[in-house]
Amino acid sequence: MEVTVSFNLNGKKVSVTAPPAKSLLRVLREDLGITSVKPGCEAGECGACSVLLDGQVVTSCLVMISQVEGKNVLTVEGLQKDGELDPLQKAFIEEGATQCGYCTPGFIIAAKGLLNENPNPTDEEILEGVSGNICRCGAYPRIFNAIKKVVKKNGV
Amino acid sequence: MAYEKVEVYSPRSLAEALEILSQKKEQIKPVAGGTDVMVMLKDGALKEKELLNLSYIPELSYIKEKENHILIGATTKYREIRRSPIINAYAPILIEAVRQIGSPQIQNLGTIGGNLGTASPAGDSIPPLYVLNAKVKLQKVGSAREVHIDKFFLGPRKTVREADELITEISVDKMEPGSYYFFEKLGLRSANAISIVNAAGILSLENKTIKYLRLSLGAVAPTVIRATEAEEEAKGKELTEDLIERIAKLASEATRPISDIRGTAEYRKKATYGIVYEALYKILKGYGKKIEYGFEKIS
Repeated sequence: MEVTVSFNLNGKKVSVTAPPAKSLLRVLREDLGITSVKPGCEAGECGACSVLLDGQVVTSCLVMISQVEGKNVLTVEGLQKDGELDPLQKAFIEEGATQCGYCTPGFIIAAKGLLNENPNPTDEEILEGVSGNICRCGAYPRIFNAIKKVVKKNGV
Repeated sequence: MAYEKVEVYSPRSLAEALEILSQKKEQIKPVAGGTDVMVMLKDGALKEKELLNLSYIPELSYIKEKENHILIGATTKYREIRRSPIINAYAPILIEAVRQIGSPQIQNLGTIGGNLGTASPAGDSIPPLYVLNAKVKLQKVGSAREVHIDKFFLGPRKTVREADELITEISVDKMEPGSYYFFEKLGLRSANAISIVNAAGILSLENKTIKYLRLSLGAVAPTVIRATEAEEEAKGKELTEDLIERIAKLASEATRPISDIRGTAEYRKKATYGIVYEALYKILKGYGKKIEYGFEKIS
């Protein structure tokens, strides 16, 4: 009882054979070596497994691999361009927006999804944009500052 | 792992999906956004061994106008509802509720038909559907029927949907221009919180007199309920603090809550009084949300 699914992962076409109801999160980690997506609650509540699915942020724990045929999946592994980090990644480093780091990829992806659709969000829109992500260390102020930094640069 | 034992069917058309349902009936569970079903699967709470994946059926996702109604395809995502100019113009109460559902991640996956199919008494898109006089379309091979939202739910996680039927469309009334509306939700955090109590209301005023109040309450009974005694009390009266107090009291008395990890029954009764009072008080004091353009806004 397995299904073969082809999709675009971080700009490259991949095919994977897996049980059809297996979550995208588990397929990415266990079958495709993408370990930036973290299993936290695996119930859609913590955001640590966030990916962009056709440009929109989703929790990959709630997506069946059977639903990903022909889609575009982006994780932080796909953010850098020619060895250059994404502005969000740079800002997270500069602002010290990580503590243990477990939630960081999910936050960066949620912020990326927000900025793709809305390059100049208000403070409230930033907070809403990452409201589905939990940081148990409590690095929220720095995470907010990092995103705000990128927004300010976009605004120039 | 539980998922290893589950088979998934991924039809590419509604006709194909209905055909599969007609053969599999109780053995198969339809899955739209997956935000509930995937959690059930992980928790070992999924009794079906087969899933019907509805994500490749574009004909089930749409928002369109039909005279005084809005038709919403069952697999339309919360995201699309939130961004729909039609819903913004004619049924903004639904947007008010949908923007408080889950998180961006959940809104990008979850669907309105899925929320109905899950039939949680705390489902946040459901109270607005009660006050919008929603009708749920159920289709099976060769026939279709429409069920009023009042008659759709039988209890927690139970609906009138037969095993060979699929929820395919939700139709709602357009709101009357100039009417006030609210959706209030009480949860433990602003994102991803299951409602402890929620309430949706539409208030139509002529000068200061109430033409009608429609009020529905969630998470306080086995299904979402209409607070009919409160609605009757409001009709034809002037909106005053005294009246708001009586309406909120009747709303609270209409509830039949349970105690669970999110709150006690007693708390839910008091909280119902509180959120209904506050929502109507805001309207009285001029802070209420009003549908300004209604029928004229978009043609």
